[in-house]
Amino acid sequence: MNKKIIIDPVTRVEGHGKVTIHLDEYGQVQDSYLHITEFRGFERFIQGHPYWEAPVLVQRLCGICPVSHHLAASKAIDQLVGIDPPDLSPTATKLRRLMHYGQVFQSHALHFFYLAAPDLLFGVDAPVEKRNVVAVAVENRDLALKGITMRKFGQEIIRAVAGKRIHGILSVPGGVHKTFTPEEREYFLDGKKIESIDTMIEWSQAIVDFMREYHGKNRKFLDEFAEFPSGHLGMVADKGGLELYDGRLRAIDAEGRVTLDDIPADLYEEYFSEAVERWSYMKFPYIKKLGRENGWNRVGPLARINMCSFIPTPLAEKARQEFVAFTGKKVNNSTLYSHWARLIEILHCAEAMKELLHDEELMGDDLVRTGIPRLKGIGVIEAPRGTLTHHYEVDEKGMITRCNLIVSTTNNNDAMNAAVRWVVKNVINRKGTITDGMLNQVEVAIRAYDPCLSCATHAIGRMPLKAEIYNHEGELVDERYKA
Amino acid sequence: MKENWWMSDTKPEERKILLVGIGNCGRGDDGLGWSFVEAITDGNYHFLDYEYRYQLQVEDADLIAAYDTVIFVDASQEVIREGFEITPCVPAGPYSFTTHALDPGAVVYLTNTLFHKYPAAYVLAIYGVAWELHCGLSPEAESNLSAALGFFRENVLPAMQQERIAEVLLEEPEDFEVLPG
Repeated sequence: MNKKIIIDPVTRVEGHGKVTIHLDEYGQVQDSYLHITEFRGFERFIQGHPYWEAPVLVQRLCGICPVSHHLAASKAIDQLVGIDPPDLSPTATKLRRLMHYGQVFQSHALHFFYLAAPDLLFGVDAPVEKRNVVAVAVENRDLALKGITMRKFGQEIIRAVAGKRIHGILSVPGGVHKTFTPEEREYFLDGKKIESIDTMIEWSQAIVDFMREYHGKNRKFLDEFAEFPSGHLGMVADKGGLELYDGRLRAIDAEGRVTLDDIPADLYEEYFSEAVERWSYMKFPYIKKLGRENGWNRVGPLARINMCSFIPTPLAEKARQEFVAFTGKKVNNSTLYSHWARLIEILHCAEAMKELLHDEELMGDDLVRTGIPRLKGIGVIEAPRGTLTHHYEVDEKGMITRCNLIVSTTNNNDAMNAAVRWVVKNVINRKGTITDGMLNQVEVAIRAYDPCLSCATHAIGRMPLKAEIYNHEGELVDERYKA
Repeated sequence: MKENWWMSDTKPEERKILLVGIGNCGRGDDGLGWSFVEAITDGNYHFLDYEYRYQLQVEDADLIAAYDTVIFVDASQEVIREGFEITPCVPAGPYSFTTHALDPGAVVYLTNTLFHKYPAAYVLAIYGVAWELHCGLSPEAESNLSAALGFFRENVLPAMQQERIAEVLLEEPEDFEVLPG
């Protein structure tokens, strides 16, 4: 009998999605899908608002990565007042970078310590009561305390420059509205009131080392789990260095061949299309010249580490080289290596924040610049989860007439579906029976991409995820729901 | 509020009690928690600190570890006959959760486990009925909010000043006169 298995909700991700597994008449897996069932219409309702509201409004897409949306929108809105990234004052650029590194640092810490750590520490077959951060806190107090403190540090950076840890405001069209003070700088450097930036670097290095050892002990599983060929997309600076705030787009294929080289981010429309499927509200971006079938890419930490030529901070670059040497491959296509890559980026962000905190220009007073207004602006940024694009067009009065958002999780849509298919075919299909641990492995595969489904669909409300099994006649024969 | 208040060395000694409003004021009565805290902040009570949250998260365990008493204020979808209720917040151990958000009991549990701090914790639940995208409370929620505020101002705030809050909050709700707003 054909059956369809549905996992709904998928846990420890942000957003509401559903996995359906279709079995044939012999009980073998025929196909599987990750459905994103939320719909919000954010791109539509922002139309008609004045352009200067965009960086504030779009933050409400998410409570986890509002800074990324704020900055991507700000880069686009800068162009509407005639300011391209090189025209921004050094102080404004550095303050935005500091905020961005703080955001990536805290978001990556949240994902690793709160969401991924239970799978890594207790195993993917662990009982459900162990698969959460509270269990991590009980079993490894030191790790949990470090996680909380690191996330707090990133949030304090955001609060220092934007006034609030969530939904704060730094950018205004053409710049920023405040500078940094010596008192604020000392707060992060001296370690008296919170742990210092040096401690953050030390802890980041330690957790990278932990992960390298973890991979050494669990290599076979981590190499094989949800390994599949794909393209990898991200932003690079001059000479191909890792770049999170402003650069050009580069993509490589599964073998490391360059498929897009140093494309100006604001030309994304010339190089990318977005496909839609009946079974998901989330779109499927792909490189036009490679087509829908072959042109999709992974984005996020693993993609960035794969496609950059180097990391411009010394400790993170050393960690990247160790990562590459460990895998022995030019390109790593194993899903669970995302966690290691994410930790290397944590280290990079800590180093970059230290560099900025010692930069006198951070405390300058040249905050806002203006140019000749335009009717179109496109801002691209490397958000924690990957490449994030904000595109706005306005009329002569400055009212938004068009908005297109391609968020990181949307870029990972095909990759997450491929990861789910791998687990379904290699774990569920092989065993014959379906256990809770097997279903958790479907979630583990999705979770490695740190998806924010509420951002991807711009959805709102309660956001669990679900699993269902359908037979060959399309009848629901089993389902699991985690609220 | 003083600029950069968050960089102060420690909380002032007299601030021992934290009010945490939980919810989303853009979702109708889900804004009850925030509305309650906002109304109380108008009184400028020196012994109270305030925070607003869409969701509680793990790091809030660190926040509440600095206080002797914490009161979480949240909207309730479950019917509460009196319109509101205050109950002790029982630490809740390991359990499965679906997103980054935690319940008050889990946050208190983490505070106990990670920081070895044991603040007295309570949940003030206020009954709401409307949850759609909308700013502002329903008439029923407004009425329940007024009742909760009346009770709080008449009974809990004086108890806080006299440092006998536990004595007041742990009594049976029937012992209190619920005042109209």
